[in-house]
Amino acid sequence: MTNLNSTTSDGKAITIKKTFSRETAVSIEIGADQAVIWALLTNASDFSRWNSTIISIDGEIVQGEKIKLKATLDPKRTFKIKIKEVVPEKKMVWGDAMGNRVFTLTKQANNKVLFHMREKIGSPMFPLFASQIPPFDDAFEQYAADLKKEAESIAAN
Amino acid sequence: MLNTNQSLNIDTHTMDVQELTTEFEKFKGQLKSYILRMTASATDAEDLLQDTYLKAHDKLDTFRGESTLKTWVFAIASNLARDLLKSKKRWPENVTDICREEALNEPSMFAKSMFIRNNSPQGNFEIKEHIAFCFTCVSKSLPLEQHLCVLLKEVYDFSLKEVATILKVSEQMVKYYLHTGRTKMIEVFDGRCALINQEGICHQCTEINGIFNPKQNTQEELVKIKMYREAQKGDKQHLFDLRMQVVAGIDPFESGAAELQLHHLEFNRKTMEKYLKKND
Repeated sequence: MTNLNSTTSDGKAITIKKTFSRETAVSIEIGADQAVIWALLTNASDFSRWNSTIISIDGEIVQGEKIKLKATLDPKRTFKIKIKEVVPEKKMVWGDAMGNRVFTLTKQANNKVLFHMREKIGSPMFPLFASQIPPFDDAFEQYAADLKKEAESIAAN
Repeated sequence: MLNTNQSLNIDTHTMDVQELTTEFEKFKGQLKSYILRMTASATDAEDLLQDTYLKAHDKLDTFRGESTLKTWVFAIASNLARDLLKSKKRWPENVTDICREEALNEPSMFAKSMFIRNNSPQGNFEIKEHIAFCFTCVSKSLPLEQHLCVLLKEVYDFSLKEVATILKVSEQMVKYYLHTGRTKMIEVFDGRCALINQEGICHQCTEINGIFNPKQNTQEELVKIKMYREAQKGDKQHLFDLRMQVVAGIDPFESGAAELQLHHLEFNRKTMEKYLKKND
């Protein structure tokens, strides 16, 4: 059985579809400082500069705050998301009524940092609108690749 | 008998007040301009300069020579400025547009500028001075940590390690702040500054030069500035480095344009305070 908490770190997304939910995850190893990766993930106004999947984020990425996010996956929609949990430099959970997105950073033995991101959406009504929600795989892979590229380019400067 | 540090073989450097004062004098001008560029206020620069000296004096026994005295003192000044600025909003990127509009509606501002221009030994108007002035205003749109990193590294030539020491963050975070700060400034100037981009919307430096130096050939003045000469090459990183060289080469308190530019800066600061309060 596939465990989305421990996807391979090659930046390839994996999706598990169930009747009442869908979950996508991606992991990638990044050769950069954990604090810098965290700063990139939490600086809302700077996000669209380096992350090609994000059009804009309004608001502050701080626990308890709400942000308005526009993404290339569905550019006409503005997602209103609550920052539900923040453990600095380690874990962050965003979410709305549909589901949660969990970001984690884990220091590896090789001094690299493992970035893991997964999102589970679902509800009893999920089967009714599941076909209208585009797949997340490409956007997740791009998100992880953009983060790796930006963080490693800062480290190399 | 050995004192504790000698017996533990710790390499410490003690400094007396006379030595502090002598060394402080050597970089006082740079420190004052650094504070001005953080706060955009000549009064705050004077006050914080004094506060920095007093704090350095009081804490001199804690200076262990682990960094240069200059780095240690800049850290004190940065902390004091952060305390002052942390509750204040950052300025918008189009600060110069907002202040231009305000100036056009306030004849007394222009009248005083002309008086300074005609009477003060520090009342010259030079385009490169305005480039430095413009950077002081626009860079206040950066988040504070990015702003300080850009100033310390690009204008005051501290190493990454020294900037990290001054701001008490890791070198990696200094790299992050510098990268994001530089990228943002390059983007803003590329979109706005007509000196480096023909489609830039801001011509304020040449516009004001025409007012204060009506007999001057503006084009002749512009070609004296390397950043302008090299604008056609389009290397944005290089153009920003050249902009930083212009800024670093100007002492905003001692230059021949100081009084005029400080008058303009004070006007912009007051305008921004009103604007930010109104838009709160």
